[in-house]
Amino acid sequence: MNPNFFSLKVADIRPEIKGKASSVIFDLPANLTETFRWQAGQHVTLRFRLNDSEQRRSYTISNPPGAPLRITVKRVANGLVSNHIGDHLKPGDTVDVMPPFGRFSLTPDPLYRRTHYFFGAGSGITPLFAMINAVLEEETHSVAHLIYGNADGDSILFGKELDKLTADHADRFTLRHVLSAPSMWSWNSPWRKGRVDVSMIKDAISETPPVAQDVQYWVCGPGAMNADVKDALVALDVPAGRIHMESFGGVEVAASSVIGIAANAKVELDRAIHDVPVAENQTLLNAVLSAGLTPPFSCQSGVCGACKARLIKGQVHMQAGMALEDSDVARGDILSCQSVAASDELSISFDK
Amino acid sequence: MTRMYHHLPVDAYMSQDWFDREQKLIFSRSWRYAGLAEDVPKPGHFISVQAGLNNIFIVMGRDHRLRAFHNICRHRGTQLIRAVGKTQKALTCPYHDWTYDLEGNLISVPDEAKEYPNGIDKSCLGLKPASVDIWRGMLFVHPDPNPPSLAKWFGAVDPLLGPHKPEELVEYPEARQSYKVKANWKIVVENYIDVYHLSHLHSNTLHMYDHARAEYGWKGPHYHFWEPPAADYAKDLNKNLPSPRTIPEPHAGAWVPMLFPGIGLGAGEDSWNIFIITPLAPGLTRVENRTKLANASGWEFQKQQWRSWSFWKDFGGLKYPDGDATGEDDPMASGDFTAEDIYACEQQQKSLTSPFFEVGPAANGESPVVKHQQAVLEFLEAQETGS
Repeated sequence: MNPNFFSLKVADIRPEIKGKASSVIFDLPANLTETFRWQAGQHVTLRFRLNDSEQRRSYTISNPPGAPLRITVKRVANGLVSNHIGDHLKPGDTVDVMPPFGRFSLTPDPLYRRTHYFFGAGSGITPLFAMINAVLEEETHSVAHLIYGNADGDSILFGKELDKLTADHADRFTLRHVLSAPSMWSWNSPWRKGRVDVSMIKDAISETPPVAQDVQYWVCGPGAMNADVKDALVALDVPAGRIHMESFGGVEVAASSVIGIAANAKVELDRAIHDVPVAENQTLLNAVLSAGLTPPFSCQSGVCGACKARLIKGQVHMQAGMALEDSDVARGDILSCQSVAASDELSISFDK
Repeated sequence: MTRMYHHLPVDAYMSQDWFDREQKLIFSRSWRYAGLAEDVPKPGHFISVQAGLNNIFIVMGRDHRLRAFHNICRHRGTQLIRAVGKTQKALTCPYHDWTYDLEGNLISVPDEAKEYPNGIDKSCLGLKPASVDIWRGMLFVHPDPNPPSLAKWFGAVDPLLGPHKPEELVEYPEARQSYKVKANWKIVVENYIDVYHLSHLHSNTLHMYDHARAEYGWKGPHYHFWEPPAADYAKDLNKNLPSPRTIPEPHAGAWVPMLFPGIGLGAGEDSWNIFIITPLAPGLTRVENRTKLANASGWEFQKQQWRSWSFWKDFGGLKYPDGDATGEDDPMASGDFTAEDIYACEQQQKSLTSPFFEVGPAANGESPVVKHQQAVLEFLEAQETGS
């Protein structure tokens, strides 16, 4: 990935779901199209200077590759950046944007013939929406089934666009809405009421069983939902390697009760070893930055994986590890932005 | 001097060596038809199929995804399961009751502590995985767990196979049959794709289609063929069809492709059929037929039969009427094109052993025969050179 920020001009900004979210389209100059080429499901990091401090946030690109670079940002209550985007950003403004990255991505292949099941909730639809479009446009032998959870009919992101996909690709795309608190008056009855759970997943799969037998499961929703869907799929004997997920929205970062201890860390970066003191409860990333080093990092919320490092010696507590695959964890990879020290001597490497 | 039959030596149709080579390099290394999707309808159901040298079984997991494994117990190699059936959660070998889950993991070894006092690593003794996929309503298996995809294998020929959606049709069980032909599998294939013989061997059995206007060709090793209905059949086609349409208007004609190796389809306006060719010995071949029809009521079928009666009552006849027939059971007087084909294949095979056999020039309508021989050679060569 390219860890540099580029200044991009906002071409258009549109409210979604009655202003509760905004879609921002950026102008991409011709000389940056290659740098900003993305896979469906990847995100970009935006950098703002608000209240005198630098704020970075990762947002998923909600368009399939080839379409305009667009992110869709749902407002978070009291959220500094999401409300800034919703209230103040306007066409013509420039924003610092880091090129796309992220491993929760679907690369369509015209010669693949797959069955994709998508389980999404809330703003977790954004990467899935890009993936579904990519499958329908680029992977024409494959089919896509979306089970989409929301609170009520009014909070459904991309409702109209999804209806159009259903109409345009009736033989290759199915859409089922699950509403946890449907309003009596405003919307047609959803496929199911409640939350996406085991029995719903079972019903969904037996209603539309896979025809193409290369089956992939893509899960993106707020924290608890991902774990629930994964458990339900594993209970049905779905091999873990076919389940791809990313946590969205409610990633709880600081709420952890784990307190980091003070430590000395040996840090390998750009083929040099540095001694870095880690303060109590300081993340390894912040410790390394405070020491004047320049490690790769981006979202600072455990989602993007840019700050990945290999733990060679000692122990850490990781507060969120969504960007890591099980195989990464087995190798000893950690997210430095999410790790605090759990032993007083540490050795990590950003070069592995 | 090697006696040739166009591109192939005559031996290719007779010798055990050739048969073994084809079994190993063609039928054990390609996607093999294994049944219709509805043969494995629910979680826990399974079937097994002999695909060249491999016996492979397909089982549906609780996630409704199909898994394929080599049907070999990892202990002493006993075939684990027989033919078709259902199981709840596990597959047990009849020999020593080793038990596997539906993911192929070995989960139980009876008397483990006593029989294997030094321990046994069950995690290394899972069933060997194969591949399975569904295409046009049919199950296909491949012995390799990571084979080239079916979409890649059939992708180029797919658009030329007709507008049928077999998964929406229903099987007509009375038409299901399996029979043996005393001829090499390539003879049976070549008969199927010989355009020249249609107007001659089948002069009185398949003339509702206009063979002179047939369009045919190849996409890789796969042969495609389409011909329109003959003028008098087409004139009032919707009335003349013997059963309700399987494809919407204005589609008309017969699509009769032969996919590699030996996977024949035959689909018209009112039916969809499969013709699976399996070599059993150098001079013995099995053919399996299954038929699907429109998902319509018995009443609809009855109505269509009445409507079309006036066309069919005088249709057809015998290849050799009157005195030329040798007797009541002469296939040339059967009025049945399958009996005519079997007869022609077997009579041809008989002559191959004669030192005086010498093949005559191939006609235009026999170009597919010659091309199929090339396809066999090319596939063998690609496998042998590993490309």
